[in-house]
Amino acid sequence: METDRADGRTANQLRPLSCSRNTLHRAHGSASWSQGDTKVLAAVYGPKAGTKKNENPEKPCFEVIWKPKSGQIGKLEKEYEMILKRTVQSICILTVNQNTTTSIIIQVVHDDGAVSFDDYVFHYSVFIRLLPCAINAACAALVDAGIPMKHLAVAICCCLAESGYVILDPTKLEEQVTLISSQYLFTDLSEVTGIIWLE
Amino acid sequence: METKASVSPATFLDKIVVPGDVVLDLSSLTNQTIKLGGGLRQDCDSISVMKAGKLKFSKPNKYWVESSHKRYVPSVEDTVLGIVVDSKADNFLVDIKGPAIAFLPVLAFEGGTRRNIPKFEVGSLLYVRVVKANPGMNPELSCTDASGKAAEFGLLKDGYMFETSTGQSRMLLSSPTCPVLEALGKQLSFEIAVGLNGRVWVCFLMPFLELIAYWVVLFSSCSVTCSMVNAASPSMVVVVSNAIMNSEYLSGVQQQIMVEKLLQRIK
Repeated sequence: METDRADGRTANQLRPLSCSRNTLHRAHGSASWSQGDTKVLAAVYGPKAGTKKNENPEKPCFEVIWKPKSGQIGKLEKEYEMILKRTVQSICILTVNQNTTTSIIIQVVHDDGAVSFDDYVFHYSVFIRLLPCAINAACAALVDAGIPMKHLAVAICCCLAESGYVILDPTKLEEQVTLISSQYLFTDLSEVTGIIWLE
Repeated sequence: METKASVSPATFLDKIVVPGDVVLDLSSLTNQTIKLGGGLRQDCDSISVMKAGKLKFSKPNKYWVESSHKRYVPSVEDTVLGIVVDSKADNFLVDIKGPAIAFLPVLAFEGGTRRNIPKFEVGSLLYVRVVKANPGMNPELSCTDASGKAAEFGLLKDGYMFETSTGQSRMLLSSPTCPVLEALGKQLSFEIAVGLNGRVWVCFLMPFLELIAYWVVLFSSCSVTCSMVNAASPSMVVVVSNAIMNSEYLSGVQQQIMVEKLLQRIK
């Protein structure tokens, strides 16, 4: 029953969480969320008048920009932006603020452990832990900005350890050796959305 | 496993609520009219919260969530400070920090006719009143009060404008007078306009004697005295603005102490 995790946590234990709001002066809403060593800063600007070209003007448009800690923006960042945009659209109320754009900018401040160039090339999914942290930060920033929302969203990452047990909130090293990891997003007591990543 | 506890409004009153909290269960109330203000929405049989803030209640039946943000939600009969962005044939386009740009009809001034349409440059600051604020439409403004008189609305010249949150504006406009404004007013004389959309404009009033001295100096072109009179106003405006910006999270007593310390350093 006891699993040996490198940092001494039990299977169900999360890393220390901390969150602070209104950290940025110019942004209309901002929050920083950190889980252990992983830290993400989210800023919300809006709602501002006008929507982008291919967006429906009868609904508010949400635009997500993901800024990695270093390096250029690639397909992985675009995928995160897409996942985050769908998440935000499911928790925000879409019947108010029509024909407006709200921008959410996610800046990765620190990722768990050092990442060498080899890691980035060969381990495609090395940044998976960032997504739950980013979803939590984005939700906190939206609440700080006063964007009307249906409910809050909470995201958690869990993976399968070598010993066959499910562990919550894995660190980078734990995730590199796992076969499956998945993230779950809780919005309502009745609604759970999950993404499963297979190595 | 899922048990719905009976939600009575008293459990959440004057407490911080977050989006998703159900504050009222309508199935338990019969034959009552409830008025919902900002931050609350009706979801089938329950009233749930849309924005984080403090839940407030006013008799007989009004509920609303009080919160402070950097953006403004336009509502009718609010007085706000707008910045002119563009002018069209029928309207001025004015930015009031809301989700949509507001329209100020060119005739919405006291004694306004097609012949004496005012000319506002892009970037001028106006003190206006919100007349229409329907969802999905651009809000409409007016530079007159309900009876058609000018009543201090219109262009604000000179002075300095800064932005705060909507909660801070409400505190500055509360009655009795907000402690920071009272403490500043005891020692300085200035003109201030507070918009409910989070914009504040401060202008320094020159006392009558100093104004006479200024004009005398101007005509006799004595450069030394001239610079002394002019230096007083910008620094005082900065002092007032800083005092107001710093007072957002301070209690009444703390605000008075802060203003006293600030003014002592000037003298």
